[in-house]
Amino acid sequence: MPYIFPRWTNRLPLIVITVLMLGGGGVTAGMWYYFSPKYTRVGYQPIQPVGFPHSVHVNQLGLDCRYCHNAVEKSWYSNVPASSTCFNCHNQVLKDDSRLALVRESVATGKPIAWVQIHKLPDYVYFNHSVHVNRGVSCVHCHDRIDTMDEVYHAKPLSMTFCLDCHRQPAAKLRPLDKITDLGWNWDDDPKVAAARQSVKGNEFVEHWKVQSLQSCSACHR
Amino acid sequence: MKTIPPPCPEPESGLKYWRSLDQLADTPEFRQWVEREFPAGASEFADPVSRRHFVKIMSASFLLAGFGLTGCRRPEEKILPFARMPENYAHGVPQFYATAMPTRGSAIPLVVKSHEGRPTKIEGNPEHPDSNGATNAHAQASLLDLYDPDRAQRFTKGGNGVASEAALDFLAAVAKQFAATAGEGLCFLMEQSSSPSRERLQSLLSQKWPKSRWFVYEPVDFTAARAAASAIAGHPISPYVKLESASVILSLDCDFLGDEEDSCRLIRGFASGRRIAKPAGTMSRLYAVEGLMTLTGANADHRLRAPTSAVISIASAIAAQVAPGNNDLKSFAQKFPLPGGVKPDWVVGCAKDLLANKGASLVLAGYRQPPAVHVIAHLLNAELGNKGKTILYREAPPPPASLSDLKQALDANQVDTLVILGGNPVYNAPADFDWEKTQRKAKTVIRLGYYEDETFTRSDWHLPLAHYLESWGDARTSDGTLVPVQPLIAPLFGGLTELEVLARLGGLEAAKPYDIVRETFRAIAGAGDFEEKWKKFLHDGFLAGSAANPVEVQFIPERAAAVLAAAVALPGPTTDSLEVVFHRDYRVDDGRYINNGWLQELPDPITKMTWENVILMSIQTAKSLGLDVRNRENNRLTVPRVKIQLAGRLIEGPVWIQPGQAENTLALALGYGHKPTQTGRVGRNSGYDAGPLRVSSAPYFAVGAKLSPTGETQLLSCTQDHWAMEGRPIIREANLEQYRQHPDFASRMELEPPPGTVSPDQQFTLYPNPFDKLKEKAIHQWGMSIDLNACVGCSACMVACQSENNIPIVGKEQVRNNREMHWIRIDRYYAGEVADPQVVNQPMLCQHCEKAPCESVCPVNATVHDEEGLNVMVYNRCVGTRYCSNNCPYKVRRFNYFDYNKRPLDQLYKSPLFNRMDGEWGLTKWLKDVDKGSKAEDEWELMKLVRNPDVTVRMRGVMEKCTYCVQRLEQAKIAKKVKARDSGDIRLTEKDGTIPKTACQQACPAEAIVFGDVSDPDSHVSKLKAQDRNYKVLNFLATKPRTTYLARVRNPNPVMPDALEMPQSTKEYSAKNGDPFEGHEAGHEAPADPAPGAGKGAK
Repeated sequence: MPYIFPRWTNRLPLIVITVLMLGGGGVTAGMWYYFSPKYTRVGYQPIQPVGFPHSVHVNQLGLDCRYCHNAVEKSWYSNVPASSTCFNCHNQVLKDDSRLALVRESVATGKPIAWVQIHKLPDYVYFNHSVHVNRGVSCVHCHDRIDTMDEVYHAKPLSMTFCLDCHRQPAAKLRPLDKITDLGWNWDDDPKVAAARQSVKGNEFVEHWKVQSLQSCSACHR
Repeated sequence: MKTIPPPCPEPESGLKYWRSLDQLADTPEFRQWVEREFPAGASEFADPVSRRHFVKIMSASFLLAGFGLTGCRRPEEKILPFARMPENYAHGVPQFYATAMPTRGSAIPLVVKSHEGRPTKIEGNPEHPDSNGATNAHAQASLLDLYDPDRAQRFTKGGNGVASEAALDFLAAVAKQFAATAGEGLCFLMEQSSSPSRERLQSLLSQKWPKSRWFVYEPVDFTAARAAASAIAGHPISPYVKLESASVILSLDCDFLGDEEDSCRLIRGFASGRRIAKPAGTMSRLYAVEGLMTLTGANADHRLRAPTSAVISIASAIAAQVAPGNNDLKSFAQKFPLPGGVKPDWVVGCAKDLLANKGASLVLAGYRQPPAVHVIAHLLNAELGNKGKTILYREAPPPPASLSDLKQALDANQVDTLVILGGNPVYNAPADFDWEKTQRKAKTVIRLGYYEDETFTRSDWHLPLAHYLESWGDARTSDGTLVPVQPLIAPLFGGLTELEVLARLGGLEAAKPYDIVRETFRAIAGAGDFEEKWKKFLHDGFLAGSAANPVEVQFIPERAAAVLAAAVALPGPTTDSLEVVFHRDYRVDDGRYINNGWLQELPDPITKMTWENVILMSIQTAKSLGLDVRNRENNRLTVPRVKIQLAGRLIEGPVWIQPGQAENTLALALGYGHKPTQTGRVGRNSGYDAGPLRVSSAPYFAVGAKLSPTGETQLLSCTQDHWAMEGRPIIREANLEQYRQHPDFASRMELEPPPGTVSPDQQFTLYPNPFDKLKEKAIHQWGMSIDLNACVGCSACMVACQSENNIPIVGKEQVRNNREMHWIRIDRYYAGEVADPQVVNQPMLCQHCEKAPCESVCPVNATVHDEEGLNVMVYNRCVGTRYCSNNCPYKVRRFNYFDYNKRPLDQLYKSPLFNRMDGEWGLTKWLKDVDKGSKAEDEWELMKLVRNPDVTVRMRGVMEKCTYCVQRLEQAKIAKKVKARDSGDIRLTEKDGTIPKTACQQACPAEAIVFGDVSDPDSHVSKLKAQDRNYKVLNFLATKPRTTYLARVRNPNPVMPDALEMPQSTKEYSAKNGDPFEGHEAGHEAPADPAPGAGKGAK
């Protein structure tokens, strides 16, 4: 009686399972990373209608974050400044520069400048800037060294894991309230010393300020 | 709603491959670019300007798009900041403005929350001297009217749209025309208003044009009490009642808790008398005489059921008992003998109780009653010494001319130009006026209206009316305090206010309503810094010290006798000669809210009917007329339709049985059955119109109707047609005496836990509740207490919750499928006989159980418990298993079976694949813009404005429920933390006023709902929970709810013939489970939990 299956089919199930497992594992691993905010969001650097460099304004000129983003301490939303804020200086500085044409047009006609939004959380997340800024979380923890950026890019993943990492260990990130907008600041120049001090002082802040760093769902998902 | 990125770009045609759009377009720039060895951008890579240019070109290239990674990125969203930042504006922080909602003769003072320059939530103004910051259902729902896509949006002439300039020029022309004739032929028909500005403009115009005539018409006229008082006093006065000072209240068909004007304030006064903190406390007592089952009757301790036409006899009988020396009243009582079936002992007992409480009693007569009953009420109040104590009188303006006067003028062809300001007389004028034809007897009709309704069809010029949230104006509340009406948004559709139209018609110089109101204020405010006073006026929402002083009045016996003598006795109703009663609807009022979705879907507080009105009758009447109402097919409520004939006029409508209604009486709610072509999409085909039966001689009730079935049936949408508690202690009540003897009666009325389970207080240590550990680290524990003695069932909380939490409306069909979305509902139970039951109301919302049955069954952990005691609902995790709702014993979880926000309500069962909207295929519309729904464009755009941005808008497939207004809690906590900064002072306390109010609590006029921190022993809610009346619903299930109730205590008069030993529902309970007031075996639980404050454990 002839054999129905050739010999090599003996190994077929093993090959299929191995391929499926490797493939499935690969796909899962790929999705795990490539579909996560760490990949999809980090590095996003859209082209803005006006090429505003934070590096010049913040680092060189020394503007505080809150000069433009003035509602960050009052509201959940940290506002992009009105054109009139830009015009406070630029009605004299670089007042005919072509790069500021849109700003001049905006102030003259009231037409808003269409900035491209970079940092955006999903609609079902209710993040509040004011409570973070007023309670010891610096801008740098979520927006990275935006003061050195020529064009703003999305530096941190801002995924739920990212938020929870801090909420589970607020002591690792809190800093004195007058250093919130000092993005390059650290406790010490030596990283080891700085880390040690952060640990000590951070725990102190958590205790004295009664930092709750809520982790229940109702804190962000309403 | 999740934003889905658009699909990756694909070539237009399959075969032609190209590397960039420029290549496809074959532009000269592209050819140049291709020819260079290094493309233009490459050599200037470092230059930021060229980099931008380079990336722009590259990103257009198909290849460099890299299989859509940049194309598959989240779509680009723009931020559009201001060009010039407004002062004091921070995006995301709501602003609050004080204003007022004008109601006929009064106003409700409001503070309205405004997000991004538009009003999103209406609250009461607690600073106002005559308000506790509460509102009623109409005030809460009026916000939706502002964003109604069906409101009048254009100026029209002859039914066709014209430019606004044309209309305004016409008004100026009218002004010129009548300047020549001193107003001859100019008539104004207005709604009732308490606005001093309108009064001032009216007198200005009347002085300017003495021949102009002014008329006021309200289909439901609440001025009866005022008119009667003025008639017997000899000069115009207006009564003002203080229910909080009354110990005994007699209501003669006066539904002051529901139907009457100013119910918001009256509920507050009534509830303050009903609250009882200890057994030794006192309670007021309410006697109600009525033909319909109303909220007042539902809350009465003694209710006498008698036809509305017979109330006059009962009133006269009581009056004869209270004032035996008054011969006019004695002879009047003889003229109106008590109807058969009314026990004389009831009258005697009631009268005795009134006499025993001189100076602390109150007799009220309802708007439906003839002037004689009102006169009797005023005379009794005078006799009982209530004047100045529970009822005050204030000077009032003289009564205006009425619609019948206008009809006379029209019939005599005296009217050249008729200006109708608001109202809808073509719809709601008495049937015998034949107003459709009568109105057209005027040569020109100018109408200022909110909708292009029935009156629009009979008008020449139609001007869009501005909503009160868009208008400058003023009003006076019942106590006379001046309140501003301040706009929160510029008129959305260019609407005009009443004041502006009057000013333009009068050719006055100051035509802007802002200037008019300021002028009026200048006169009222008196001397002093005007601008400062004006600013304070707008900031506070009222003018302090502007309340009118009460005046002493003496009633003239001859005048009283004259009114009494004019009263006509109606025959008692029989099966062949039924009594028909017209009443103002709890929801759509006199028809003005017919297109308001929130009010249409709000279940009627008594009948729990939605989306239409019904013909109510008692069960005995239905039997004797041969009508079978309970006819269920497939669990649908099918009821017979009947014809009613009265004096040669005919209407048709569905029948419904109302327990507690008087025999041979039909109750018809006004306001429904509008013309489908002249009503918006919500109000179309809603109910029947009772107006055709209503004549000017009998606007509220008439005897002599005949009823005949049509043979047809109809489906009704009722949210609660099962009204019996069946002996279960859901609502626990006792009489005052029983409460005094057994203060803990509420905790005694319990059921046995199911077999095999533990009692609620036992700790089950094998699997500890994870929440017990969690709550140790929290600083607040939230809880709620609802006082059933205070709750009257008005349902303001339901609309407030809908407004605050973006709760959708589902439509008639879905309500019929029990899919209404209200997060809080008022359960209304009848106990006792169906013919004459007792009624109890209970607000039911998520109990936030510490051992929540819903939390343990969610397969995806979408509902969890947070450390402060809230049962939290995470919408983005919910997959729609509905197991949680299945497990919830209170059935407070609502599921979004459809996307009620995006889909039109009449096309819910059609998917976008098979749906056409505005001539476009649903799928095409979806592909064009994923975020847009299938609703009509105008409805969609306006709907977005109503939504509260602080609360998620839920999609199809997601479960939702009461969250204890977690958005308000979080905002309060955040505000405290922001203020605290680096101090540790982050706890919300009642002392510093930082504890937020939930929407339902803030709206409740009776202050029945109290929310707060149960871990603070001094908080109001902790004190309420420590009361002996406190109990948990379904406690035997051991869910440990955070929402507890204070059992109801009735205050019957033991000498009355209908005084029961115990309330009916308690009787039903004891029949099944044993008497809770004796030593009993069934359902006896361990004594109440230890007092709160001992640790953070919540009760």
